[in-house]
Amino acid sequence: MPEKDESQAKPREEPRIGVYVCNCGGNIGNVVACDNVARVLGKLPNVVTSHSHMFMCSDPGQNLIIDDIKEKGVNRVVIGACSLFLHEQTFRSAVERAGLNPYLYYHVGLREQVSWVHHDNPKEATDKATRMMMGGIAKARYMRPLEPVRLDAGKHALVIGGGVAGLRSALDIARRGLQVTLIEKSHYLGGHMAQWERVFPTHQKARVLLKELIERVLAEPNITIHTGAQVVRTQGYVGNFQIKIRQEPRGVHGAFPNEQEAVAVCPIKQRREFDYGLSTRKAIYRAYNGCVPESLVIDWENCTKCGECVKVAPEGMINLNEEAREFDLKVGAVVLATGFKPYEPLYGEMGWKEFPEVITLAQLHRLLDDEGPSDGKFYWNGHPVRDVAIIHCVGSRQIEGVHRPQPDGNVNNYCSRVCCTASMSMAALIRQKAPDAKVYDIYEDIRTYGRGHEDYYRNAGKEQVTFLRYFAEEIPEVMRADESADRPLLVKVKDHLTWGETIELPVDLVVLATGMMPNPVDDLIGMFKVSPGNDRFLLEVHPKLRPVETAVNGIVLAGTAQGPMNIQESCAAAGAAASKVAALLIQGEVELEPFVAVVDPERCNGSGKCIEHCPQEEALTLETFTENGRTFQRAVVTPANCNGCGVCAGVCPNRAIDVAGWRLDEFEAMVEAITDEIPAMEGAI
Amino acid sequence: MTNTLKIDALVVGGGIAGMQASLDLADQGYQVALVEKNPSVGGMMAGLSKVFPTLDCCSCITTPKMSAVAHHANISLMTYSEVQSVMGNEGDYQVRVMKKPRYVIEDECSGCRSCEMVCPLDLPDYDNEYGRGAHRVIYVPFSTAVPQKALIDIDNCIYCGKCLKACTTNAIDFAQQPEYVNIETTSIVLATGYKTTPYDAKKEYGGGRLRNVVHGMMVERLLAPTGAYGRQLRPSDGRQPDNIAYVQCAGSRDLTLGVDYCSRVCCMYAIKQAMLLAGALPMADITIYYMDIRAFGKGYEQFYENAKAMGIQFVKGKVARITEDENQNPILRVELIDQNSRVVERKHDLAVLSVGMLPGFDPNSMYGVPVDKDGFIKAPNPNISPTLTMREGIFATGTATGPMDIVDSIITAGAVAAEAAAYIQSHNGHRQLVAEQTERSVTHA
Amino acid sequence: MSTNEGKPKILILATLSGGYRGADSTGQSHLEYPPNTYILPVMSAAIFRESFYLKAFERGFDGIIVMYSGTDSPYKGESERTAVIVNSAYELMKKQEIDLRRLKLAAICTVCVRPFLNEVNKMNELLGQIGPLQHKTPAVQPVR
Ligand SMILES: Cc1cc2nc3c(=O)[nH]c(=O)nc-3n(C[C@H](O)[C@H](O)[C@H](O)COP(=O)(O)OP(=O)(O)OC[C@H]3O[C@@H](n4cnc5c(N)ncnc54)[C@H](O)[C@@H]3O)c2cc1C
Ligand SMILES: Cc1cc2nc3c(=O)[nH]c(=O)nc-3n(C[C@H](O)[C@H](O)[C@H](O)COP(=O)(O)OP(=O)(O)OC[C@H]3O[C@@H](n4cnc5c(N)ncnc54)[C@H](O)[C@@H]3O)c2cc1C
Repeated sequence: MPEKDESQAKPREEPRIGVYVCNCGGNIGNVVACDNVARVLGKLPNVVTSHSHMFMCSDPGQNLIIDDIKEKGVNRVVIGACSLFLHEQTFRSAVERAGLNPYLYYHVGLREQVSWVHHDNPKEATDKATRMMMGGIAKARYMRPLEPVRLDAGKHALVIGGGVAGLRSALDIARRGLQVTLIEKSHYLGGHMAQWERVFPTHQKARVLLKELIERVLAEPNITIHTGAQVVRTQGYVGNFQIKIRQEPRGVHGAFPNEQEAVAVCPIKQRREFDYGLSTRKAIYRAYNGCVPESLVIDWENCTKCGECVKVAPEGMINLNEEAREFDLKVGAVVLATGFKPYEPLYGEMGWKEFPEVITLAQLHRLLDDEGPSDGKFYWNGHPVRDVAIIHCVGSRQIEGVHRPQPDGNVNNYCSRVCCTASMSMAALIRQKAPDAKVYDIYEDIRTYGRGHEDYYRNAGKEQVTFLRYFAEEIPEVMRADESADRPLLVKVKDHLTWGETIELPVDLVVLATGMMPNPVDDLIGMFKVSPGNDRFLLEVHPKLRPVETAVNGIVLAGTAQGPMNIQESCAAAGAAASKVAALLIQGEVELEPFVAVVDPERCNGSGKCIEHCPQEEALTLETFTENGRTFQRAVVTPANCNGCGVCAGVCPNRAIDVAGWRLDEFEAMVEAITDEIPAMEGAI
Repeated sequence: MTNTLKIDALVVGGGIAGMQASLDLADQGYQVALVEKNPSVGGMMAGLSKVFPTLDCCSCITTPKMSAVAHHANISLMTYSEVQSVMGNEGDYQVRVMKKPRYVIEDECSGCRSCEMVCPLDLPDYDNEYGRGAHRVIYVPFSTAVPQKALIDIDNCIYCGKCLKACTTNAIDFAQQPEYVNIETTSIVLATGYKTTPYDAKKEYGGGRLRNVVHGMMVERLLAPTGAYGRQLRPSDGRQPDNIAYVQCAGSRDLTLGVDYCSRVCCMYAIKQAMLLAGALPMADITIYYMDIRAFGKGYEQFYENAKAMGIQFVKGKVARITEDENQNPILRVELIDQNSRVVERKHDLAVLSVGMLPGFDPNSMYGVPVDKDGFIKAPNPNISPTLTMREGIFATGTATGPMDIVDSIITAGAVAAEAAAYIQSHNGHRQLVAEQTERSVTHA
Repeated sequence: MSTNEGKPKILILATLSGGYRGADSTGQSHLEYPPNTYILPVMSAAIFRESFYLKAFERGFDGIIVMYSGTDSPYKGESERTAVIVNSAYELMKKQEIDLRRLKLAAICTVCVRPFLNEVNKMNELLGQIGPLQHKTPAVQPVR
């Protein structure tokens, strides 16, 4: 049931206005006749007291206001002084110290907007100052006390996605003493980082680094982790999201000694996603050795429930009839850390799927991994790879009309940020594993921008990697070589480092440096009302200033869900997201500015216009009320979702909705007052 | 006079990174002191024109942050102040800060600038305008400076006393002495930023002697609405340039200058400036000589594409030398990488060196925090914990940890706040608001 | 003290994230402009319905400049909505034969000193040419 708007119902007290005109030590006073202004304003209705003062911001100035409030019963304050940006806070707190609602004060800028810009016209400046103050006084008659919007906030956050970004932000939030639930869709933690051999810029083993992080997360008592889990329903707003989670069963409970046997008896063979199809797995499998959680898992989609594995496993270890479970969470904020997926080339794109010797950079990582499908030997099709070409910007920096679009009709016109340095680091690894191999690097621009990245580029040059440069309009071609040739593939490039000559490179293997696409999260976008950008990655409020917040209060972004990033950048973004969550939830209460829409119940006839135009999600709803047997509809504001943009106020046909603190009737009164007759004054200026 | 302050975090450097880190810590309820050596916060960002890739007016997005740090109840802002010594141990640092004399009493000054009006002496403004603009001997640093307080360049003051008479609040004090503040803090965040690579270091580019060879930051000021001239001109004769060259990697990726890294922002700011110049000077030709265009951030590639569509010329080439003709037009000798390193000479009427970034400060001797071979603060675990330094309880953020743009500075500022907050929390013995602990459970494990 | 009487009056509705700070920056530069300018701070310019502008003309303003933040607005939808409403106000103005140039929508940033002065001067020039507003028809009734 929506709450009743109390402030509307209360009878308004008679305004008793205190007026203060600051001389600013002559800055205002030398141009504007402050004493006269104060005297004139004192004649206006409702003005109880009116002063001119040398420095209103000084302690004596502030005390004057406080005394008037306490002793003269002043209940509205109008101050004309320097810019409101300098001293609005000062005066608000003075008013509050006197026991008055701090929003019952209005500030008129008499320095930056009057005395400093009209020195040549003291008379007219005084007239303008008087009128501006009259406007302020008119507004003061209409002002109502405002309270910040306070919402109870659960000291509990949900992190969606258990890649390096999700893990890092869960850790940072938990270390602040808040509860964290982390859910991961797959059955293991770590996301893509687990798949890489070594990572730039430190050349460390990715899984070693990841393991350290996961161990810290596991050691944190405030974190609860659910793998195989996804959000199915959400409701509520910042401070109070109610979320339903569905967790797929794992089917296997803990490790057991003859796991290998249980796997061996499984008759199903599937492409191993972890190796990007370079190897196969069974329907009972482990993503990789050492993964967390480490027990085997059943691939329900492909398992035929033949029961072979159950027979060999110890009693109760495997349960093929386990059901999914659903449970509810109440959290104050949500971190979206749903990550990326590597770009999947289209059929025939530079030979992809057409020739088995064309692989992606992600596959190359698996291939060169000591724990990978070829135990780290640089072999393809059973033969050592001699010559290899790496082609950059596959699925990135695409150009409309040149590249084939994605299903949504758009090309990927962004840079994927990590592929250049990742390629350079892989080139170095190839050299290490196959010192005689020729490595061709076919690029548009080398973007080794980060700290330590340029070293990889420079070393690649030293390691005799051959660079060729293509333009996006002239995509390199990958072709099958003649039967007689001793290299199966031919790469044809128009090389712009050598007069645009077309060069043919015979190679054993082509590596496509594929970029990043966001993991598809349309369901979450719909449930949380966040927006994707044109590049399909989740959209931040402001790409420069507020890069980890979304337009929905309480929903923040971490890592590659927001755009291509490397591990370092994902972890930094995760930390930033954690800071925002901690600031929101740490007090157990969220406080928002009071400048939100308010509905006048007398005037609202449920036209729904405001809702139609409101640009915020779920800030306004039409609800049905029954009063004295009459049923009607009326707009209701959810202050937590309203940012006070005022679009509703401009479109309501009944003038039934306003932004608190910025009501239209206040503005009308100001306009009237400014153009009013100035009260007559005995004596000259 | 000496005061003592007990706080949770001391943030050193009031650029965008330091300001954001302060706000993110203060918003979590921690007590923060922000020490900035210059008379205003804002750092390099406060002087930029518009920012890539949004082309937001830069002051418009900086000023609210600047006033936010000044007004935040949990932040003590100390501008024109420097750390003098750091003692103590991990988690319990004693820091001595000197507030340099402004010769203007901060609490009294109302920022009215009456003193400025009467001061008879103009000085070239090196700090904010690279010698192009001027300020008085007594001056408020710039129009959006925070705090809006005057200071006197005492070395150049002739003590004529005019400001004394003009000041309505008796704020001027020629005898002002430094003040000292002793700070006890659990943690320290270094956000000491960057400086640009010297534009006169490279002999081949004229060593700073060619008048129509300027650097990126100067152009920012030409383009800024608050800049000294308010229009685009070339220094030698004030004429509008109509054939402008950008020389990329002038000071970065250049082993001869000892700067072997990429400075990360220069491609983007050159493209931005080129677009703004093209808007202001529709008839001008603008050419960017580059090695690789590194438009890697969110929305950056599209920005680059827009610039190409606007007709800005991109030439892949390394500028080997710059000389000038008799009209002081810069002549660029360019190795065209795209054409097998063929060498050509191109005449322009203004050349802009896209200078890179050097660390703004070496914290090793004072803070015991070593730097890496690139001179930026060393990160022991750059992948997972990019804001840690080699010393416990001391963290680093923004361009103090390597070149980066504003959005990345803001992100690492959020990250350093999280890292420092966790440290403070564990160090202060969970003194506030400890959430009740529930049983740890990892389902499926 | 009726020194401004009879002179054209300009109402400036200036957003806190744009024009109002622009006006402050102009003040900090101590640049003169005519004092017939009445600047009201607004959080978002979208709150003003078309009748408000008409009412301001009726009350004696001869020109109105809405100084919002344009596409830099922190509020989603503000700039589009404001433009739509100003356009409807133009329709009403046409009916009342009010010169449309008396109402101007201008994007002013927080340090846009020159653009601010430019708008103020242009409006004053215009009012100098076309004179104060003469009411041809009885004033509109605000929708209450
Ligand atoms: C080929 C290649 C090589 C790379 N090499 C390096 C390198 O050397 N150094 C480096 O720094 N970076 C490298 N990177 C980048 C690095 O992989 C990423 O920066 C990092 O993995 C991003 O982590 P993340 O947590 O944002 O995303 P991810 O790793 O994608 O994690 C996201 C997680 O969220 C889960 N998830 C998705 N949707 C949902 C949902 N709806 N509900 C629950 N969970 C969900 C996913 O299952 C996944 O576990 C490389 C990238 C590529 C493609
Ligand atoms: C020409 C040019 C154009 C640019 N344009 C853009 C752009 O359009 N978009 C973009 O995103 N980025 C741009 N950048 C980059 C941008 O300027 C930086 O990313 C950003 O300003 C870095 O902020 P910071 O806080 O890390 O450092 P800084 O701004 O350098 O701040 C550091 C602060 O610390 C203070 N300080 C230093 N040492 C000490 C000490 N020992 N004690 C106390 N205080 C100290 C300094 O005075 C300074 O205030 C541009 C850079 C240049 C050179």
